[in-house]
Amino acid sequence: MGIFQSMKMAGSSLTSQRLRMDVISANMANADTTRAEYDAELKTWKPYTRKAVVLQSKEEDFSSFLNAASGKTSGIGNGVKVTGIVKDRTPFELDYNPEHPDSNENGYVEMPNVDPLREMVDLMSVTRSYEANVTVLNASKGMMMKALEIGK
Amino acid sequence: MELFSSTFQSLENALNYSNTKQKVISQNIANSDTPNYKAKEVDKTQSFKAELGSFLKSYRTDERHYTFKSEGGHASPIVFQKNVQYNNNGNSVDVDKEMTDLAANQIYYNAVSDRLSGKFQSLENVIRGGK
Repeated sequence: MGIFQSMKMAGSSLTSQRLRMDVISANMANADTTRAEYDAELKTWKPYTRKAVVLQSKEEDFSSFLNAASGKTSGIGNGVKVTGIVKDRTPFELDYNPEHPDSNENGYVEMPNVDPLREMVDLMSVTRSYEANVTVLNASKGMMMKALEIGK
Repeated sequence: MELFSSTFQSLENALNYSNTKQKVISQNIANSDTPNYKAKEVDKTQSFKAELGSFLKSYRTDERHYTFKSEGGHASPIVFQKNVQYNNNGNSVDVDKEMTDLAANQIYYNAVSDRLSGKFQSLENVIRGGK
């Protein structure tokens, strides 16, 4: 357990939050994309599917539990990690728009399952988390600089 | 007579405590969006040593097996926060509390390291004979 652990932990979270922000950007950008994937069998385009980031605490593996139990490490953990980017299974919305080239025989177009309102709320959450972690990083940095001045 | 009084030891312990607390706060804030994460805190009441081995016993059938008791016998002072409410995603991090703790811990650390510096300075003063 190094002295830079607290900075690494904040750093891991900054990376994760940045990725979440990237995914939200992609969702927002593709909120109206009706041609994201081509279905070769049906010879049709499928709309964009909303994506979400899965976060996991960087400690919940066997070795860390064993080390914590045997007292080798403190059991604090090592920040956060991204386990994957998953697709949202919410069904696509149907818009009535017969002039659209991707509309079906009834005149309905499948639109992406992206809700811009929800994305904005997530974006605010990401921004706040990012700011909180920057504050932690600055605090850790300040403490280390203070420790270097001991005895001067 | 000892050159370094026990105050140095006490201050060092205080710095160690503050450092551990900083790590725990970092971990909690880093995981403020992680589903099912449970917030941790540093237990001040429990002595940093001892205790371990009393609650976790390992039966070794081969001497090459790991023991659960480490060399130093240090117990982890990290405990889960009690009496907290969980969010809908099973997360129990209270960001307001963590940020407050962060600010308090930073000031505490600065105060202790300032005092440590002061002790060294007075020691130096004595060594130079007050000149």
